[in-house]
Amino acid sequence: MHNLRKAGKSRKFSTTTACILSVFVLTGFLSLSSFIMASHDENPQDSIHFSRDDLRKGERLFKGLMPFASGLHDCASCHYTSLPDTINWNPSAYDLAITWMNEEDYSIREKLAMPLGTRMIEDHQGMSVTAQEEHLLHAYLWEVARQGPGELKAVPVNAIIFWGLGLLMALALLDMLLTKKIRSKIPHVLIIVVGLVVHMQYAVAESRNLGRTQGYAPDQPIKFSHLIHAGENEIDCQYCHSISRFSLSGGIPSNETCLNCHNVIREGSLSGRFEINKIHQAHESGQPISWIRVHKLPDHSFFNHAQHVNVANIECQSCHGPVETMHLIRQEEDLSMGWCLSCHRDTHVDFTANPYYEIFARLQELMLNGELDAVTAAELGGEDCMKCHY
Amino acid sequence: MKKTTYWKSLEELQQSTSPASSGEDLTSTPTPIEILSNNENDKASSRRDFLKWCGISFFSATVLSACENPVKKAIPYLTQPEELTPGKAAWYATTYQHGNEYCPVVVKNRDGRPIKIEGNELSSLTTGGSSARAQASLLGLYDDGARYHHPLKNGNKISWEQADYEIINKLRDISANGGRAALVTSTLLSPATQQLISHVQNMHPELEVITWDAISYEATRKAHIRFFGENVFPQYHFNKAKLIVSFGADFLGTWAAPAIYAKQYAETRKISKDSPHMSRHIQFESYVSLTGANADTRIVLKPSDEKRFLLALYGEMLRQTGQDDYAGTTISDAEFDLKQLASDILEANGYSLVVCGYNDPNCQLLTCAINQMAGNYGKTVAIDNQLMIGQANEESFGSFIDELRSGAYSAVMFYNSNPVYQHPKGELISEALKTLTLSISFSGTRDETAEACDFILPDNHYLESWNDAMFKEGCYSLAQPVIHPIFNTRQMQDSLLKWTGSDMDFHAFVRNFWTERLYPLQTEYGDTQGFWLNSLQKGIFERKAETTRLYNANYQGLPIAADAIRQLISQADGTELVIYPHLAMHDGHMANNPWLQEMPDPITSVTWDNFIAISPAFASKHQLRDGDVIRLHEKVEAPVLIQPGIADECMAVSTGYGRTNAGKVADNRGYNAFMLTGVKNNFRPFSDVLASWEKTGSGFQFARTQTHFSMEGRAIVRESTLDNYKLDPAAGNELHAYHEKHKLTLYPENIYEGHHWALMIDLNACTGCSTCVISCQSENNVPVVGKDEVRRRRIMHWMRIDRYYNGTADNPGIVFQPVMCMHCDHAPCENVCPVSATTHSAEGINQITYNRCVGTKYCINNCPYKVRRFNWFAYADNNRFDYHMNSDMGRMVLNPDVTVRERGVVEKCSFCVQRIQDGKLKAKKERRHLNDGDIVPACVQSCPSGALVFGDLNQKDSRVARLIKDARNYHLLEELHTLPSVGYLTKIRNR
Repeated sequence: MHNLRKAGKSRKFSTTTACILSVFVLTGFLSLSSFIMASHDENPQDSIHFSRDDLRKGERLFKGLMPFASGLHDCASCHYTSLPDTINWNPSAYDLAITWMNEEDYSIREKLAMPLGTRMIEDHQGMSVTAQEEHLLHAYLWEVARQGPGELKAVPVNAIIFWGLGLLMALALLDMLLTKKIRSKIPHVLIIVVGLVVHMQYAVAESRNLGRTQGYAPDQPIKFSHLIHAGENEIDCQYCHSISRFSLSGGIPSNETCLNCHNVIREGSLSGRFEINKIHQAHESGQPISWIRVHKLPDHSFFNHAQHVNVANIECQSCHGPVETMHLIRQEEDLSMGWCLSCHRDTHVDFTANPYYEIFARLQELMLNGELDAVTAAELGGEDCMKCHY
Repeated sequence: MKKTTYWKSLEELQQSTSPASSGEDLTSTPTPIEILSNNENDKASSRRDFLKWCGISFFSATVLSACENPVKKAIPYLTQPEELTPGKAAWYATTYQHGNEYCPVVVKNRDGRPIKIEGNELSSLTTGGSSARAQASLLGLYDDGARYHHPLKNGNKISWEQADYEIINKLRDISANGGRAALVTSTLLSPATQQLISHVQNMHPELEVITWDAISYEATRKAHIRFFGENVFPQYHFNKAKLIVSFGADFLGTWAAPAIYAKQYAETRKISKDSPHMSRHIQFESYVSLTGANADTRIVLKPSDEKRFLLALYGEMLRQTGQDDYAGTTISDAEFDLKQLASDILEANGYSLVVCGYNDPNCQLLTCAINQMAGNYGKTVAIDNQLMIGQANEESFGSFIDELRSGAYSAVMFYNSNPVYQHPKGELISEALKTLTLSISFSGTRDETAEACDFILPDNHYLESWNDAMFKEGCYSLAQPVIHPIFNTRQMQDSLLKWTGSDMDFHAFVRNFWTERLYPLQTEYGDTQGFWLNSLQKGIFERKAETTRLYNANYQGLPIAADAIRQLISQADGTELVIYPHLAMHDGHMANNPWLQEMPDPITSVTWDNFIAISPAFASKHQLRDGDVIRLHEKVEAPVLIQPGIADECMAVSTGYGRTNAGKVADNRGYNAFMLTGVKNNFRPFSDVLASWEKTGSGFQFARTQTHFSMEGRAIVRESTLDNYKLDPAAGNELHAYHEKHKLTLYPENIYEGHHWALMIDLNACTGCSTCVISCQSENNVPVVGKDEVRRRRIMHWMRIDRYYNGTADNPGIVFQPVMCMHCDHAPCENVCPVSATTHSAEGINQITYNRCVGTKYCINNCPYKVRRFNWFAYADNNRFDYHMNSDMGRMVLNPDVTVRERGVVEKCSFCVQRIQDGKLKAKKERRHLNDGDIVPACVQSCPSGALVFGDLNQKDSRVARLIKDARNYHLLEELHTLPSVGYLTKIRNR
């Protein structure tokens, strides 16, 4: 928890210093960056147990390119081999691999023979693999654990449009000035003007979103569903995020908090036992779970949960969105300063509930006399820079 | 009214109108563009270079912006500790102590790491005050460069088990062979540790404990033995004294217990219309001490003359009480009217107080006698409930050195003691240590003595340790760890327990000691567990009952003492030397602390160095200039500094510098003045006749902040005398009424609906001790910039202590004035910012928003108070500034509630807005009013004399609201009508 808010440096946006020229180059890089893939270590070491052939065959078997002897179709249709793995409740191939690699002498055949929990029993009915197939699958999973999960490739639409337009503009310019294949200059000018407008639009949009992560919904180490917990089971947000009433931090609940319920509830309706087991594994190994942080403000902004949750009684959903409808937690709002301020300008402060506000005697009186309907947070200084930046 | 002219430097006094000649040679200061250029010969930067830099920065900006947002982890606790809420601070009470220094503190702990030290308000001694050194001691915890990370044997890493095994065997052999062992320690304030050591001595009678202090108060104890037959260091009640006479005792700065005395002293200096009474303070001294600067009358004398005056005062008192004057010294009326002083002392009838700073038993005996004749014992001085400081014995240490060299000892251990550095015979000690069977240092940080020992068994930092302390008899305080030991270190006490075969740790030992010894002294708690837990929570335990003693004085020794002093005076001839502890460095054990190194000395405003201070007359006589290096006693070479107010024919040198093995910050910085101390009749008097000095011909440049941020001679400080104050409380502050009457403005008046924060500073109570400066630095992540940058006037401190002189250069009047952002209602900085990065808040705070600032520095230019600072560099994570912010460990000290500023932005005092926000939120959460005093900025909290008061002007009954209406209140440069939220109360002197 203690690294939730580190002593941070203020970061100035480079856009303040970049000139118009830089914006184009920048936008190009930004669009490119959306399809730069994380490269994995590409020198496979031959294993002690498995040959290259085993690895290849194992992969084909897992992905259903080679049939099993028992007629079992494939593994990959349920256990995804690449990330993101957002909607799939079954453990991914990578998840299986790293969990099992920690066990000594694991055996897929044994796991199939003795399935854990009803969900797994139902899903694996009548499945069996031969010893040879098991060896190949072990080989593949060993490789998956070593290499990490594969990633889905996103189509870089923006980049294609950006560079394509750029090329077109360059050609138009070239033709207009030198080759002069098309006599009329109207198409040239049109292309360049439209291209410039589109490029500018990209530049503005991309630089505005610099450092913002609206819609960010990364895969978490545990397939934890807020929909099931907060939505279906209607657990109060502050049952788990209890410190949000007292601290500046909202507070990721400790493993122990999970165990309050999951000591008894060992199997989930969607994910079976595999995901919940991770809590118990963490408890036994003493290794806390490394959640991926979704909502983060820049280090130079100080947001205090207690002020909003405890004092102002703001609904969690006002900032975090309809969390109770999300399986996977997603950053709903852009968390920009404008967004913060618009709320400060609209939110009425309840003067009556808290004796602290009696300090605003004049405003209280105006409200009593009916000269003032309500006071917004902004009118009490909620727009001051040093409310959040210090 | 006669206009008093104030000046900040000698150059200013000498009417040098050209600003370039104000204090420093500015031509040697390189410009920023020259710093960028590596080639020293090619200073001018060409257009090509400029384009290159542009290209590189443009390219890197582009590449950096294209990076994806990094994935950040949020890792919760596996099992969240009950007492810890992430993001919320926890406070633990503990005690800072080192030798004679003491301060009960509370430590702010955020997410497991201590980030701020504050005085413990429950202590009746300090009532929440602290000292700059107590504040800065926090940084020592994270000093990974200077702290030992594990036990060492002859410089090689060794395990604790192996070290224990070897040492136990060696000790057993020594014991069997009838060898002698010694534990050298500075004064031990901890009763539990004393108990433990005597327990060890019972088991090992061959172990001798030798107490030795680098800065000793032994003579005071010796004098009390001779005079009252009691081995005590008396407690002084400065708060009860109407007349304070000090002979060279810097009791507000470094002498004995300054944090406690400052509080008492301020009590007698704070005046109001209802009680226009204050003490009168006369200081006789040879160098300019903090105390002297605060005195109503300051008499400049060279050390031998001080003693002559003391003797003459005693003689005068004898005569005035109708006794035979055997002092045999008189002072001519032209020198000073001692007759008047003596009669004033006698007239005060027990409510005067005479203190003497010399570690000379004869002088101390005279002081005892004067106080006794004045009837002060039992009123302003008491030998019951004494202070426990000064238990050292120079004589036994002297014979220890001789015996050590003759090979009488087989084993020596050093605890909190560094004689190799602090004793003039340090080198001999170091050599002798090499021949021993066993030499052990318990030092937790690198030091010269430890390097000479076989075994270094590093002690924990005090914030990692269990301990207790009794500074004053009956006033106990506890020390508890606030963090798990960062390195593989172990408390000295735990080592001793281990070696004596005990399976108890020192935690249990302290607990047993408290529940067995202290629990019976109270009646509040019915069970030992309750007593222990409450003591731990409060950090202190004070026995209520005070004993009273009879004062049976014995005057027999006085004629001999007078003779001895007369003899001493007759020997004094020529230039004299006075050695004093440096305010920040003290005995030098925290020399590797960059906060303290960069703390400007309040008198000279020199940072990062010590110097030889000489008077302007002495300088012109010998044609010495600032920075000329001279050689003293053939031992040390150091630069001179011309300091107004020092006795002629006198050189003042300060201790604490010249470390050779302390860490990268301190090593070889300044010179070691301990080398100049001599031992006379088994005492180190810290003053001497200078045998020889000579010019070396080389020069040196100081980093002084003296002429920085100057306000060019306007009416900045206002002062008056007590007599005038009694006639008119607004005396000296006539300008305030004038400006109030003639104010005109184009701006509309600001309306503050809720709070309107303000700070009041009582110039009468401020002693200039600079605790607030360090406290502010610690709270607000203020970077250390280093000597070179200080010379370029780029010190980053958010508050400074301005020092103004008035009068002549021989003996000027000195006024201190803390200056931070004034938070003007009509702030000149706000309307010049082109990007609205500095704005005014609804609560009257002048805000600076780092993420919006583009660094035009217009605001700095337009600020009449010169309180804004510019980040010329990224001071964090930058090898150029290799201080605490350049390592992961050092950065742990940073306050997570305050942004670490990036290069190119302006910063300044924020009134500790993070504390304001926190205080308001606390009130809101508890659904209650915000009370006066709920919010305390770091500077206000740490002030030992309570000179600073912070609060809400809109709250009619708040202390600031009352003080701002005081007739003494004025604002800096109020003619500009900036309407500052910081007010000053005029300085009143009682003369």
